Amino acid sequence: MADPALAPRFPLGGYRRTIGGIALAEPAGLALVSAAVPQGGDEDFAAALAGGFGAVRPGTGDSTPGDRHAARVLGMQPDQVFILFEPPDPDRAAETVAAALGSSAYVTDQSDSWAMLTVAGAGVRAALERICPLDLADEAFPAGRVARTVMEYLAVIILRDGTDSFLLMSPRSSARSFLHAVELSVANASE
Amino acid sequence: MSGPFRLEGGAVDRSRSLSFCFDGRPMTGHPGDTLASALLAGGVRLVGRSFKYHRPRGVFTAGSEEPSALVELRSGAHREPNTRATVAELFDGLEAFSQNYRGSLRWDLLAANDLIAPFLSAGFYYKTFMWPKSFWERVYEPAIRASAGLGRLSGEADPDCYDKGFLHCDLLVIGAGPAGLAAALAAGRSGARVILADEDFVMGGRLNAETHEVDGRPGAAWAADAVRELASMERVRAMPRTTVIGAWDHGIYGALERRTDHLAAGGGKPRQILWRIYSRRAILAAGATERPIAFGANDRPGIMLAGAVRAYANRFAVGAGRRVGLFTNNDDGWRTAADLVARGVPVAAVIDVRDRAPVAEVPGARILMGSRVTTTRGRRGLKGVTLANGEKLALDCLAVSGGWNPNVHLTCHHGGRPVWRDGIAAFVPGADLPGGMAVAGAAGGAFTAAAALAGGHRAAVEALGALGLPAVAGDPPGAGDEASDGVPFWHVRESRGRAWLDLQNDVTVKDVVQSHGEGFRSVEHLKRYTTLGMATDQGKTANVAALAILAEQSGKSIAETGTTMFRPPYTPVPIGAFAGRSRGREFRPTRLTPSHDWAERRGAVFVDAGMWLRAQWFPRAGETHWRESVDREVRQTRGSVGICDVTTLGKIDIQGRDAQEFLNRIYSNGFATLAVGKVRYGLMLREDGIAYDDGTTARLGENHFVMTTTTVNAVPVFRNMEFARQCLWPGLDVHLISVTEQWAQFAVAGPNSRELLRKIVDPEHDISNEAFPFMACGEVGVRGGTPARLFRISFSGELAYEIAVPARYGEALMEALMAAGEAFDAVAYGTEALGVMRIEKGHAAANELNGQTTARMLGLQRMVSKKKDCIGNVLSERPELNREDGLKLMGFKPLDPEEQLAAGAHFLAPGAAAETANDEGWMTSVAYSPMLGTSIGLGFIRRGHARIGETVRAWDALRGADIPVEIVSPHFYDPEGGLLRG
Repeated sequence: MADPALAPRFPLGGYRRTIGGIALAEPAGLALVSAAVPQGGDEDFAAALAGGFGAVRPGTGDSTPGDRHAARVLGMQPDQVFILFEPPDPDRAAETVAAALGSSAYVTDQSDSWAMLTVAGAGVRAALERICPLDLADEAFPAGRVARTVMEYLAVIILRDGTDSFLLMSPRSSARSFLHAVELSVANASE
Repeated sequence: MSGPFRLEGGAVDRSRSLSFCFDGRPMTGHPGDTLASALLAGGVRLVGRSFKYHRPRGVFTAGSEEPSALVELRSGAHREPNTRATVAELFDGLEAFSQNYRGSLRWDLLAANDLIAPFLSAGFYYKTFMWPKSFWERVYEPAIRASAGLGRLSGEADPDCYDKGFLHCDLLVIGAGPAGLAAALAAGRSGARVILADEDFVMGGRLNAETHEVDGRPGAAWAADAVRELASMERVRAMPRTTVIGAWDHGIYGALERRTDHLAAGGGKPRQILWRIYSRRAILAAGATERPIAFGANDRPGIMLAGAVRAYANRFAVGAGRRVGLFTNNDDGWRTAADLVARGVPVAAVIDVRDRAPVAEVPGARILMGSRVTTTRGRRGLKGVTLANGEKLALDCLAVSGGWNPNVHLTCHHGGRPVWRDGIAAFVPGADLPGGMAVAGAAGGAFTAAAALAGGHRAAVEALGALGLPAVAGDPPGAGDEASDGVPFWHVRESRGRAWLDLQNDVTVKDVVQSHGEGFRSVEHLKRYTTLGMATDQGKTANVAALAILAEQSGKSIAETGTTMFRPPYTPVPIGAFAGRSRGREFRPTRLTPSHDWAERRGAVFVDAGMWLRAQWFPRAGETHWRESVDREVRQTRGSVGICDVTTLGKIDIQGRDAQEFLNRIYSNGFATLAVGKVRYGLMLREDGIAYDDGTTARLGENHFVMTTTTVNAVPVFRNMEFARQCLWPGLDVHLISVTEQWAQFAVAGPNSRELLRKIVDPEHDISNEAFPFMACGEVGVRGGTPARLFRISFSGELAYEIAVPARYGEALMEALMAAGEAFDAVAYGTEALGVMRIEKGHAAANELNGQTTARMLGLQRMVSKKKDCIGNVLSERPELNREDGLKLMGFKPLDPEEQLAAGAHFLAPGAAAETANDEGWMTSVAYSPMLGTSIGLGFIRRGHARIGETVRAWDALRGADIPVEIVSPHFYDPEGGLLRG
């Protein structure tokens, strides 16, 4: 008998739960790949992003949708974006991006670096108020905004992916502590 | 009716009754009552005992400034001591207990302290407990501790939960009295984002306690309408039961919101929330605190602040007495007499220190202008007062007003000092306010309702203007300018007995005079010597009068005397609220390795490594001592093969056209010649030339490297490199991103490691010694194509590899390695065996890279290349760091192999005295080496390289050891390195 292939395990084990009307879920099937722009390569990169993902390059703190692989491009810092997408082959996510962007970017797979959690529901901002130091009001953080921040001592990338919906990403190794922090916030803030 | 002192009207809900207990006695009150108002309504005047003299004390105020009516609330583990009855909202089932007595509240044995009061004056500790010296710890301190403090802690863990959070606004309004409400309305109607916070459970401030009219309606009704309007505004957040406790930098304020304190049970929700409020502008509308006048025996239950007596009558519908006297130095105090008479409470006398025409007629009361109260009587409650002319009056309540002090506290939290204003004889906020703060209303010395409303409105319009926001607020609400004239009058000189200034700490006028007489001239010294202004009330009712008396003594003005420093928090905050949810297991986040669950299933013993939990060793059945497990793990690894999760090592992905040049500048050794598919060991220095971190860097492609750092320095190294990239060499094309979490990485070490990996790595990858020699690296597939990276590096000194897979496959890879290793009797090893093997091999780790050591000391001086520059290169050449007789990292073996070495021991020459001058170095790391069968150590010793074979002593006073050791090479195991190349 051939030795079995290695089985993947996800940071939150496919977690899904609704607390006080707020739905928490670990999204499945998403890859996250960073793309760093070589010095002097902004034009090439913008063209490659448009060609490879059908996306406009976002400014830092913004995100833009693409028309391939259900992609969203997150502007993380002046010379770096993260591409969040549904990869044809999860084990080759970086290769997919590298193929699409060619030599216009240095790519690094970040899919396993971050535990992802969507938090959605009418009271979601009241819940996040307990752990998120950022101002999440519509005027300060409209849908599509993305930021790095800290919640409960943990690094977090927060993307507002809808009016009452956020995607949170936090380092994989502390995923259990992070989930606890978010669950507790939702429970504490719910009536 | 809930009690004999309940009046008609007020803002309590008479349709419902609430039952509560005080000292076990069942009582009733109504929604809208505080514990204090319900006790007064029930005729309870004695509610506690004072701190030092155990004097009977009652309710003194109607707010958070209360110094006297401190009680314990709730029972069992929920018990909370030193709670102010004046702000405790009544609920059905509330249990309250008086505190600070032995025996009973009525018959307190420690009231004997009052009889020896002459010996307990200011500074008595310092004078009394001087000798004999040995008595301090055994006799005095335990006795003092036993009688000190007020309420009792439960001694149990706090069963309530707490939370914290973050809020943002254009305008924070602190206090919801007339000024605060006017400000919030103006800003809210203009569309600004407003947070309005008030410590009370009903907003309105003094409007609820007075009979002012606003816009032609009763002030309390106007306030209620204003609160309703604010609540309807989407961008306004009105937060009752929320005390802003401090002003921090950049418009950040701390606020404590009491969420469930007014409920019988919290329902599992946080009891209190500590908010951090980010404001662009803030208006302090914190109001003012009435101050008493000091006179003899002015601390009896029944003696209260005049404004509080008014608040109990108007808001809570409670008459504080049936024969009330008023003692005042100002017009505002007269309002108490007028309001009481209007509510049918008999006022027996108005005693005004001013020798002038009466301010008003008070039906039924004797008006005594130019008079003073010199002393009082009544053991457990006021029965009467004596005037300066010797006349005695029978009274059961004396309302005292000495004027009002603006609540300037938050204006001083950035070090600003208040300034004295003669017109109101009080301190007002100085010019040096925290950035973005304005002050309105009584907090700024504008005491009338009209001035407060207009001031709050104006401050909001100005704040919006400063923010560039439109103000469409209209005109401020209108009110009358009630009379508030007064004269400064601090204490009655004719009083013979003790006249209290600070009711909470039992500090009297005499204490302040004595303190000054003994040389404590500064107000800060006065505070420490007498304890004036300390504890839960922070002297809110006491400080200014004490300053006035200190000023009198020193012949200075009050302005020159100054105040003590105001610091957060404004009112007490439970430690539990500061801790919030960070308690127990969730005190800090925990980082788990990919094989954590696997290791847990095998009974691994874990150790904290920063936030990481790492497997320390894996006990097997029958092993009774950790060393048995660790020795076995070492022997089996060195004998066959062992596997260790090393995911915690920092991993940094480095890409760019100039990545190689960047590494060449970061590391002290050369990286210009590292070939693709090769790994190199690298050393980093700090700017000052001291060794900083070490690790390996693999070249995966022309412009692509992956660096490993030590676990502990993963973040700082990344941060420093990002600094170098962005600030030192912005011209280099280099990009960094952490991949520590991305890859699960395992060390596979031991003579059978290659054979084990052959069972895992897909066969198309040749990992023979020829194709994949020591320090090779490359991408491979495992178990049918799962992507992996293989590095032939060794920390143990064995033939060894590190293999990395995407973290999602980490646990599966661990299982696969262990399953494939069964044929070799493979062993999982933990950090302890890892440490033993690195000590046997003489590798430096955190104990050696401790921020004091250089490459030269570590024996790595050749790794500081002089052919190129790098961070720390120049300063590593400082002569003192390069002395020939400097410290060197060496190995140490006890002459007697049975001896156990200890890290931290210092090296001394045989026969040398254990003195600093004779210190030759220190032991950094030790382990029992199962391979050598003895304890071994690494350490730094002077001229070590020239002293191999010499015997010194490892002297350890801490553990009482003095062990002769031989200086040996630090490379105990396979010094030639043949194994790792095999």
